[in-house]
Amino acid sequence: MIILDIARNNLLASRRRTLFLGSALFLVTLFFTVLLALTAGITDSLVRAATSVSSGHVNIGGFYKSAPADSQNLVQNVAQLKKEAREVLPDVVNIVDRLRGWGTIVSDFGSIKNGINGIDYDEEKELFSVLQLAKASEYQEAPADPNLVKGNFADLKNPGAIILFAAQAKKLKVDVGDTLTVRSTTVTGQVNTADVNVVAVARDLGLLSGFALFVPKQTMIELYRLKPDVSGVIQIYLKDMGRSVEAMNDLRAHFAKQGYAQFEHDSKPFFIKLLQTVPGEDWTGAKLDVTTWEDESSFLTQIITGLRAVTFALVMLLAIVIVIGISNTMTIAVRERTKEIGTLRAIGMRRSSVLALFMLEAVILGIVATGLGGLVGAGLSLAVDAAHIHVDVEAMRVVLLSDTLHLVPRFGDVVAAVLSLTFVCGAAAFFPSLRAARIAPVTAMQSAE
Amino acid sequence: MKTRLSGRFAVVAVLASIFAGSASAQPTDAEVTAMIKVIDDRQENSGDYRSIAYLEQKEKGKADVAFEVEFFRRDADDKLMILFTKPKNEAGKGYLRLDKNLFLYDPTVGKWERRTERERIGGTSSNRQDFDESRLSEEYAAKFVAMEKLGKFAVTHLTLSAKPDVDVAFPTVELYVGPDGNVLKREDKALSGKLQRTTYYPKWNKVYSESKKGDVYVPAEIRIFDEVLKGNSTVMIIKTTDLRPLDANLFTKAWLESKSR
Repeated sequence: MIILDIARNNLLASRRRTLFLGSALFLVTLFFTVLLALTAGITDSLVRAATSVSSGHVNIGGFYKSAPADSQNLVQNVAQLKKEAREVLPDVVNIVDRLRGWGTIVSDFGSIKNGINGIDYDEEKELFSVLQLAKASEYQEAPADPNLVKGNFADLKNPGAIILFAAQAKKLKVDVGDTLTVRSTTVTGQVNTADVNVVAVARDLGLLSGFALFVPKQTMIELYRLKPDVSGVIQIYLKDMGRSVEAMNDLRAHFAKQGYAQFEHDSKPFFIKLLQTVPGEDWTGAKLDVTTWEDESSFLTQIITGLRAVTFALVMLLAIVIVIGISNTMTIAVRERTKEIGTLRAIGMRRSSVLALFMLEAVILGIVATGLGGLVGAGLSLAVDAAHIHVDVEAMRVVLLSDTLHLVPRFGDVVAAVLSLTFVCGAAAFFPSLRAARIAPVTAMQSAE
Repeated sequence: MKTRLSGRFAVVAVLASIFAGSASAQPTDAEVTAMIKVIDDRQENSGDYRSIAYLEQKEKGKADVAFEVEFFRRDADDKLMILFTKPKNEAGKGYLRLDKNLFLYDPTVGKWERRTERERIGGTSSNRQDFDESRLSEEYAAKFVAMEKLGKFAVTHLTLSAKPDVDVAFPTVELYVGPDGNVLKREDKALSGKLQRTTYYPKWNKVYSESKKGDVYVPAEIRIFDEVLKGNSTVMIIKTTDLRPLDANLFTKAWLESKSR
């Protein structure tokens, strides 16, 4: 307790030094906390977009090859597969099926090649809980009213409707009410087109939304001339998405038992398999492919891994600067306080207590400065997130997987940042403290004289 | 195997009866079927075929792209090879059709990829059928529409519908056949009936074939216009055509790979 008092008094006595070191620690912790919140925000955006726009928690996809050169993303006997999935997975919350395609979307002003999803509006609770209507300013060059929000997602129930994302509407230069032509090829390879009407423009959800747009199932059935009970993917939503890998394994084991032909598990999204893996294989017929949402968005987890690596590298660099700074300052402090050390040792303080005293000073400084840095960093992250700052640079939106700056400060991340930097601070003070503890009382007294 | 009309007299007779016919004398279905067989027959060479062609692709909002390709056919075996020779960055790339499978070779990665029969050749609006022998009578059933005027030419307008289980990109084709029996214009339609692309054949060349013991008609120029992506077009100019026999081992992956070494 006495040591604690002495340490506190020493910190207060050396105000300038304490303030200088404390500010550095505060800023590094703040920076670290914001970076962790950004990474968590990107992960959150990825999970949100992946499990609504492009995947369920678990997916029963499949490939169909009428000839070795023709690969289609098709699942047959959809009703039966849905029934079996419900039997195998008792914790299912919702099961939807989507028709998947790829085609050219043509307006009077431009065209894009895009993934097309045929969906049933009433089934897609997860998707429409995430989608938000875009403001005119998000997809028009100079709108009369930038805040105007047009359209209605529920109009997707109408035949020949289409929902675009803002980036797609911007490229095509279209607004709600405009007509587009969708061109694609049927399962038998014949060119077909469908005229569709834009009923809503949704806010972008990062890279994943760039691959998707939505039309009613019937439009897809007519465009691709599909038979009934055929779909592109069955998306399964579980009570706990953390159980997705287990659920996938259960389904795979069940389908194997039932004699369904299955694609070997491969942690790649379906479109990479469809374009690269399946065409090179010689089999014909149908194969099921059960995957998790993480498989379907595996190409995006590289962004998160990259960001984590950058965060780690930056924080390591700053930690080295802190270690050098603290180590230097403490060494100077030990030299300046030799007399004090000598006195303390002369009145009976043990070496270990001297070591503890100096270490405690560093740890108190660390915990206060990093604690404040963590709190301010978390507060700043919350404020930035609440401000919904729109990101105009497309490349940034791709990395952030969102059209706004989304930061999620997690309690665990803040605590980890505070503790790790406090530890760094304590570690940096160890050798100067050891040097202080090793000073003999006689030497200390002599040096004072 | 496709059926061929017996002898040149039959060809002349069908042409005479249809192309010289008046609007009131509407050809029968049998005559129309015979007519598209004539179109195929005029372009068919029973032996080998080698041509050099230039492809120019115009795409809205993009820089024009031009290629030089050499293509080879052995119609008796349904073999086709398209070898890109220019520009330098595309040289060595090629397509090979073997046993109804179309393969693409990319020399930059040294790999073969299986492609569909409807592949857009080199990303242009042209596809395999533009380089291949005419198979209209095999792939489509024809119906007479009307005798019409296409510019200064009197043409026979036919509607072709794809036969069941035939692998064609466009299920409906409007064909405008000139008085000499060569196709002048072709309109390809989607299943929905929407016009997808219009192709013009403004000039045909006649080359004598030793193997056929007769003339083979080859389009000198093909102009393809995308009717959905307005502003996109492809021009294909066939510069030289050689009907002499080709090397026996030419239609192999090894031969195409050797061209990029």
